[in-house]
Amino acid sequence: MTNIESGGPDGRLAVEQTGGLGEKGLSKGAVGVLGAVVIGVSCIAPAYTLTAALGPTVAEVGTHLPAIFIAGFIPMLLVALGYRELNTAMPDSGTSFTWATRAFGPWIGWMGGWGLIAATIIVLSNLAAVAVDFFYLMLAQITGRPELADLTDVLWLNIATTLVFIAGACWISYRGIETTKSFQYVLVAFQVLVLGWFAIAAFSHVANGTAFDATPISWEWFNPFGVGSLTGFAAGVSLSIFIFWGWDVTLTMNEETKDPDKVPGRAATLTVLVIMAIYMVVSLSVISFAGIGDTGLGAGNPENQESIFAVLAGPVMGPFAILMSLAILSSSAASLQSTFVSPARTILAMGYYKALPPEYGKVSPRFKSPSTATVTAGVAAAAFYVITRTLSENALWDTITALGMMICFYYGVTALACVWYFRRELFTSARAVVFRLLAPLLGGIILLVMFVKTAVDSMDPDYGSGSNIAGLGMVFILGVSVLLLGVAVMFYMRWRHPAYFQGGTLTRRT
Amino acid sequence: MRYIVGYTADARGAEAVRLALALGGGLTGGGEDTHLDLAMILPEHTPFSATYPGGDHGYRSIIAEQVDTWAAEALQLVAEGVSARAVVRSAGSEAEGLDDLARESGAGLIVIGGRPGKLAARMGPGSVATALLHSASTPVAMAPVGDGGAIPHGLERVTAFVGTRPGALAVVQTAAVAARRRGAELRIVSLLGQDGGDDAQLSARRAELQGHVAAVVAEAGIHAETVVAEGRNIEEAVQALPWQRDEVAVVGSSRLAHRRRLFLGATAQRMLRTLTVPLVVVPRDHQPPAPTGA
Repeated sequence: MTNIESGGPDGRLAVEQTGGLGEKGLSKGAVGVLGAVVIGVSCIAPAYTLTAALGPTVAEVGTHLPAIFIAGFIPMLLVALGYRELNTAMPDSGTSFTWATRAFGPWIGWMGGWGLIAATIIVLSNLAAVAVDFFYLMLAQITGRPELADLTDVLWLNIATTLVFIAGACWISYRGIETTKSFQYVLVAFQVLVLGWFAIAAFSHVANGTAFDATPISWEWFNPFGVGSLTGFAAGVSLSIFIFWGWDVTLTMNEETKDPDKVPGRAATLTVLVIMAIYMVVSLSVISFAGIGDTGLGAGNPENQESIFAVLAGPVMGPFAILMSLAILSSSAASLQSTFVSPARTILAMGYYKALPPEYGKVSPRFKSPSTATVTAGVAAAAFYVITRTLSENALWDTITALGMMICFYYGVTALACVWYFRRELFTSARAVVFRLLAPLLGGIILLVMFVKTAVDSMDPDYGSGSNIAGLGMVFILGVSVLLLGVAVMFYMRWRHPAYFQGGTLTRRT
Repeated sequence: MRYIVGYTADARGAEAVRLALALGGGLTGGGEDTHLDLAMILPEHTPFSATYPGGDHGYRSIIAEQVDTWAAEALQLVAEGVSARAVVRSAGSEAEGLDDLARESGAGLIVIGGRPGKLAARMGPGSVATALLHSASTPVAMAPVGDGGAIPHGLERVTAFVGTRPGALAVVQTAAVAARRRGAELRIVSLLGQDGGDDAQLSARRAELQGHVAAVVAEAGIHAETVVAEGRNIEEAVQALPWQRDEVAVVGSSRLAHRRRLFLGATAQRMLRTLTVPLVVVPRDHQPPAPTGA
């Protein structure tokens, strides 16, 4: 608990700060390594990422799933190291928007912020949609009436339910209600347990000869060069970035930990080992059990790829498939709520620094949460979902691919911001060369290359799920129109509220 | 006396400041012995609600600046000559933060606003008020939520409500101290609901109540007007009482309360909806501080 006073007891007009307001609200020394690992795994939400990304990734790289997951982690790691440097240098103002503005000035900074907001808005709509799918699936499993699971395919009902989920999470976030420790521990333990159960059950089917399409595990699956095409590789890496998105939260936790020198590093290492083990075991078990054929339960069947566990949990786990539904529903609903905070805060910061109209900088007097910004994030996520769901038959698939693209964009920008921000201190030590120059530069370039490659490839109408409008791939339309919308808003802001763009509110570091 | 004012930068917060000033005498001159802590409670951040994608997004510095602005605005609401400061605290809930602040600073009273808007008011006290009225360890004053309620300007009379249950003495003493500090009149009221019972039973209960009130007044060693207010039910009994504009009602907390804690009883809840004056709820076994300098 922190206590900040202003004004002495005798003079009501003497506004005097006796404590750093910046210190406020952080519970210090609270988290050890285990706690940080739980936070990291919970941010990644592996049950959700696997069901959302496994199918689309198999579609791109086939059996080379393990290889691409490992390859995808490398740029994530490189960028995260740069993130940590920026976070240490500017702990109070930290994220893509402010960092990129400080490094590159208002224009790139603005787009960096927009990229982060867009990525989180897209993931919000996807999280809500996945939660809704498993909500109806679980309803069917509880009542023993399989037809209830098909309700999620009724367009208007699906959209209505998803909007209710988004509104609920938005309301919780607006009220400033936060997740508790025990809730996180239970949620994470349950996810890991259920995913382990799924893998063991899948492997026993393979051993007993009851698997759908028993496929023997091969070392070739771990060879990233076996993917064959650069298009497939780039798409696979974008998707892998999405499945590790969340991991870097452990690296940026400093003041919250018991020992800032040791805990974040150890927790980050341990988290990646845990999450990598989960991804390897589950992806191997899925391919061994179902193969990558494009019929029936095959992981290559486009019918299955939007949400792999919705299809496979039943055949693999039998009556216990309901646990998988519960794990995914709970983890995606929890992520939905916690993810709201992020775009809301970036919108708040952009409103505060006049990069967006000032009303976005409003804080609720009662709940002390970003008010206009939170509602805006909710409305945007809802609008994005309604548009994609109406335009595309494979909305989930397309949004995940577009999301991977958006993450590559803002991560790439932020990584290069790190190099540029520290450009005068790059060669002061060997450590600086590695963490401020080489790692973020390489990571940033890889991600921006992936971004451009995915953007170009996705113009092909057959890209990803194969949804297209007038011969232009759906993923391209989604990704590029979101970014162009950002450019349009940026120019509007430059015209109407030029202060930020003239360097009047947030200055570039010189 | 020190007051903890539950401040939010809206109409409810402004109402709380006005009420604290009225009770402390700041609006009528003579609030020299009054000190207001204008308390803003921020949500407590736990690392287990880590925001992702990461970083603080500039949030803390924005909130800190906003809170500074709010603090300056809040201090502007305080009348000349009254000592006040702004206090910020992070806590699990607003009620918890206010109660902790009151306990730590030895404050005599927590003051909160009612609910803005007529519709909300019909629903009774807000969530913060409800939480405080059910758990605080310091007396809580709340702006009236019922129709026709208004914040008083000063304090001309203090009305203490007592029943026949134990705890009446603490209520009467607290009311007496408050009245003496502000030079206000003191009125001790017991409520008699007429529903059920014939005339004989009613007059027996009336006599019992009168005797009880007289005993409590004698035990407290005070002089006060004593009234038995009657109506078909509690609401009507309260409404039948004449009320002054500059008046405050004081009730004790329910028997369900833990020692030295508040718990708003059913009768008090019904009174809260009917009262047009602020209500102060006193914890069980509360020891009122002796008046200083007055």
